[in-house]
Amino acid sequence: MTIDNLESDNIILATGGYDHTIKLWQTHTGICTRTLQHAESQVNALEITPDRQHLAAASYQHIYMYDLASNNHNAIVNYEGTSKNVTCVGFQEDGKWMYSGGEDSRARIWDLRSRNNQCPKIFEVQSPINCVALHPNQVELFVGDQNGIIYRWDLRTDNNEQLIPENDAVILDVEISPDSKLMASVNNKGRCYIWSLVTGMVDTPTKMVPKQKFEAHTRHTLKCKFSADSSLLATTSADTTTRIWRVDENFGLLREIKQPESQRWVWDAAFSADGQYLFTGESLSITPSSSGFARLWNLESGAMEREYAGHQKAITALAFRDTS
Amino acid sequence: MALYDNKYWLLSHIRSSFISTDDTGAIRCLIIQKMYAANVSGMCELVMSGESRDVQTHLKSAEPFPDPDSSEDDEDDFLSYDLQMDADFNIRERSNTAAQIEKFELARKRASKTKSVKWESKQECRADINELFVRKDLSQMKKPEKLTSKLSALIQSHANVPKNPFVEFAKFDGTGQVNIPTKKYKIYLTMLPAQQRNYPMPVCCVSSAKVKELIGLILLKYSYNYGVANMKDVNHYGLYITEEDGEVDSDFPCLDYKEPISKYGFACLGLVEHKEGMKSVSFPEETHSLVTIEEINRNRTTSERSKADETKQMENDIQAVENHNKLMEAPLYRSFRAFMVSKVKPKIEVNIGVSGERIEIDPVPQKGTKLLPFKAKSISHPMENIAHCELTEDRSNKSCFRIVYSANSTGSPSTNTDGLVSSSSIIIQSPSTMCFKNYDFESSQTVALDLVQKMKLILELKSSQTREEYLATKEKKLQKKKSFQIVK
Repeated sequence: MTIDNLESDNIILATGGYDHTIKLWQTHTGICTRTLQHAESQVNALEITPDRQHLAAASYQHIYMYDLASNNHNAIVNYEGTSKNVTCVGFQEDGKWMYSGGEDSRARIWDLRSRNNQCPKIFEVQSPINCVALHPNQVELFVGDQNGIIYRWDLRTDNNEQLIPENDAVILDVEISPDSKLMASVNNKGRCYIWSLVTGMVDTPTKMVPKQKFEAHTRHTLKCKFSADSSLLATTSADTTTRIWRVDENFGLLREIKQPESQRWVWDAAFSADGQYLFTGESLSITPSSSGFARLWNLESGAMEREYAGHQKAITALAFRDTS
Repeated sequence: MALYDNKYWLLSHIRSSFISTDDTGAIRCLIIQKMYAANVSGMCELVMSGESRDVQTHLKSAEPFPDPDSSEDDEDDFLSYDLQMDADFNIRERSNTAAQIEKFELARKRASKTKSVKWESKQECRADINELFVRKDLSQMKKPEKLTSKLSALIQSHANVPKNPFVEFAKFDGTGQVNIPTKKYKIYLTMLPAQQRNYPMPVCCVSSAKVKELIGLILLKYSYNYGVANMKDVNHYGLYITEEDGEVDSDFPCLDYKEPISKYGFACLGLVEHKEGMKSVSFPEETHSLVTIEEINRNRTTSERSKADETKQMENDIQAVENHNKLMEAPLYRSFRAFMVSKVKPKIEVNIGVSGERIEIDPVPQKGTKLLPFKAKSISHPMENIAHCELTEDRSNKSCFRIVYSANSTGSPSTNTDGLVSSSSIIIQSPSTMCFKNYDFESSQTVALDLVQKMKLILELKSSQTREEYLATKEKKLQKKKSFQIVK
């Protein structure tokens, strides 16, 4: 493989945050290749569509869709009608529909097959939704909210089931491993909970069996991410660190990524397809006006490989799509 | 205690009291804005109790208060002098509104290009559920083999990319920023080789940046395009006022590092590398970035030699291209200024026009021309008649050169030369009755070099009969000389 065809490939790294822009990066040089305008609000979450053609940005009252293939720096579709912040967004694996969760306590399904959202679906909970994860079986959504409840929402039957891992805690992220065997959830107390998932047969629900609980961080744990082969779990935190845990060794700590900056918050992370590298989206403190970086870490050595600088303010979301 | 029955005065007094007791300034803004609105549009939204009708009608009139002149009472001067309704305030208010409208307009334009999908709580369509939500059978899913990543391959193949020392300035890039003011500049990079220097680099910077940060941003963009080799710390560079054509105005000092860029209104600037890091004295805390550059240079030592060779090669190439260009340009018309000299006549200043076709020698009109005993006339020779051109004397302050032409082939010089013919001494009488004469000139060294080179190039291109014959006769003469020497 020559360098040339490596560079012309389709690796996408997008970052967004409080400075009202979304930046696309050339990963190996750290050069910002494009800046998309996201004028109305901050970016809460970013997700690339399965066909790699579009980028969805969850923001205040809207989800904006950007065209990655063209040079248009404005959004091409605006999904509106939610009353508060949209906190998370994701796609069905064929791009048939998009899911979102927001501070209006509703998880929504947006029908993407036609342009007018023919078959919407809504699921309402008691408090603002912080995170939504889609089970690889494509029919179950796991919704985590401010009250500390995780809901399993079955899209076919509309049945739901609730889990409360810890009282008086806020669920900040929920993640299902790509091999669909585990579910991880992190909360504002820094704890990480792991369930084993027992896949049900046709239309029988997935069973969640509590497996493990551990102190991942000392403060808010903001995000948890499985690597593509489900062997590693990354947790990012407000305690200035990112930690990588070995899934098959009862979540023993593999590595801690730490920077000397005292107020650093790590908002988001993404593994490379082979699990050797990790991107992090960071801010230097909690204030939205603090400067933000994305960084690339070598997990074997723990060294920082690249820094992606250019955002005026904190980076709170990143989306990455590797190619194999 | 005093009693007042003038309601305008009272209204004014109440307003003033409100304004002067409110530290937040909000009331001041509100009231002045209201008054302004009332004043401009005649609309009054100020709601007062009691006698408000009167006040309102009054406010609806063009003036906010009765003309003070019409009243004898001094205290009719309602507005407190302590409260300045500065003109600035109103102007700013208006421009803000304009900016706001412009913003809406822009947003509207953008929105028109954006397809909007509104959430509607429709009746759920059961029919679609089986189509939309299909359970994926995971039991058939094979465990993927060793996963590969192009990112990993890419990062490993670019393993030793040094950290760009200017990356900290990336955040001052204003490209794509919509909600913060930015400034666009055309930057001429004077450290580039001459060929690449002609076009300015466009740089968009956030307006809040300082000059030093703008320099950092320029260097970052420069490093993206030309690499970080040979680059120095930010403090080694200065931004100078520059003409639109790229000429750096060195009469002015460079922009002050510590000042915000918004202080300067120039859109065209030149980045100049200072010989000494003279500014580094005032920025001692910046030494760490110097270290990083040294590190880079250390990383580069292995390829240093090849790098040097490369530059040498490049210089040679550039030289070749330059020569080629000169060759291409040789037949184009160009005029030179020189003095024609001869043994018998005084020096005359002339214009020598050289083109691929002909050479023209025109005397420059002088004040005292009429007094001269003869009248200088212009001469023109077709290029075919020119046999040779050479430098006869090459000194830095004054150089001499000679143009040799044939006086008898295909006709004499087109204009009669009787008047001028400065020094047409026959130097060689060739057997083929070709008679060569020459003109001698005196000029500055650069002019002489340029002209002689141009002439030589043209003569080479033309290779006329005259020239061939001249060279032949010269050769013969040389041989004769040699044979003489041998005889001796």
